[in-house]
Amino acid sequence: MDTEIVGQSPRGRSLHRFANPGRFLRLSGAVLPWLSVGALITVSFGLGWGLFFSPADYQQGDAVRIIYVHVPAAWLASAGYLSLAICSVLSLVWRHPLADLAAMEIGPVGAGFTAVCLATGSLWGKPMWGAWWVWDARLTSVLVLFFLYLGHIALVRAFDDPTRGHRAGAILALVGAVNLPIIKFSVDWWNTLHQPASINFTSAPSMAPSMLWPLLISAVGFTLVFAAIVVARTRAAVMERRIRGLLMARAAQAEA
Amino acid sequence: MTHLPFIAIAYVLGIGVPLCFAIDALRRTRAATRRLAAIDPRAERRGRG
Amino acid sequence: MTRKRRRLYVLLACGIGLGSATALVLTAFNDNLVFFVSPTDMAKGERMGRQVRLGGLVEKGSVQRGGEGRPATLFRVTDGAASIGVSYSGILPDLFREGQGVVVLGALQPDGTFKANEVLAKHDETYMPKEVAEALKKSGQWNPGAGPPPPAATWNATAPKAEGK
Repeated sequence: MDTEIVGQSPRGRSLHRFANPGRFLRLSGAVLPWLSVGALITVSFGLGWGLFFSPADYQQGDAVRIIYVHVPAAWLASAGYLSLAICSVLSLVWRHPLADLAAMEIGPVGAGFTAVCLATGSLWGKPMWGAWWVWDARLTSVLVLFFLYLGHIALVRAFDDPTRGHRAGAILALVGAVNLPIIKFSVDWWNTLHQPASINFTSAPSMAPSMLWPLLISAVGFTLVFAAIVVARTRAAVMERRIRGLLMARAAQAEA
Repeated sequence: MTHLPFIAIAYVLGIGVPLCFAIDALRRTRAATRRLAAIDPRAERRGRG
Repeated sequence: MTRKRRRLYVLLACGIGLGSATALVLTAFNDNLVFFVSPTDMAKGERMGRQVRLGGLVEKGSVQRGGEGRPATLFRVTDGAASIGVSYSGILPDLFREGQGVVVLGALQPDGTFKANEVLAKHDETYMPKEVAEALKKSGQWNPGAGPPPPAATWNATAPKAEGK
């Protein structure tokens, strides 16, 4: 049951439609160029607007421009982990072979975005709060998220049998998912130095439109960048797995 | 512009880190495509594009 | 029941168990998870002499900058209900001003004042351009000394006008 036989997934079952690596490569190959170009345009537009054309804040001055990198990175750190958790459910319950590969490729990208979030937050905190780092609930829970990513990266690669690595990684990812609501609501549940969310679904944003628009656009841009990177990495991983399979088949043939 | 060094480093990180990932993904895809073309009898039909 | 369905239910059960365990732990450690305590909590006096963080707004008109003869800056931190006098000698962050949220690290002295050895400025979730802030002050919608600016919904509609000047 745990063996993955490339290209032999049942056809026509909706969830496993993309389990066929050939079909995934064709489809993603068609989408990826558009995704990459769209990501590049959107993120340049958002960041350019934020850096050069949006106004300085009445208190923070120009340091407010850091949020056009920090906030999208923070959202994607969480969203990336959510996608990791979804892939883990697909892997544990439905044994979807592409979900394993995708989870393995999401990990490093998510860790990278979390690192950007932490670093840019620190760069904002020093001039604004007067401290590079404080151990409040928001900052600490995001640091825990970073370590969860690192743990996942290490765990999925720690076994000789890749299937066992994927299982262990999926369980770690799902256990770590309890951290996501903690990150989101830490600023509401406890006193934190970190400010509460300026943008939420229930009330009007406490941010001037001239700052909100570049922020939203660069958030969309970074999301597309994240997606494009993950798709590209998963494509590479599918091809690498096929190479390994072919080489092993050859070796077996040579021995026989 | 106030706090220019902080802003500059933040933007370099925000652009640089995704760029490194993108370059790495491109390099991996190129290498895998080349390798597949060399050893996979079906490479012409699948993995391209 | 199919194997897939059983695996899904096992996963859901584990999720519920883990979730409620985490919720219980977080509730139990609630006191340790807060980054700062308010002047009202502080006034209960249980934290005498211990290093704690005190958070609130800098009370309007309470700031006495340190000068000759007295090195410390004196100000009061308030949460509306209670306020505590703070003394601090050191460099204050850029955002420190009357009406601004601050978090100060230090200890409550026997005389009821708070001796701080670190002051952090707390930024609120409001972001607006200088022009909008000026317009709000001019129109009397916001008095910076009295506290944070009014909710954005009240000024976001007027903001384009203010920028268009």
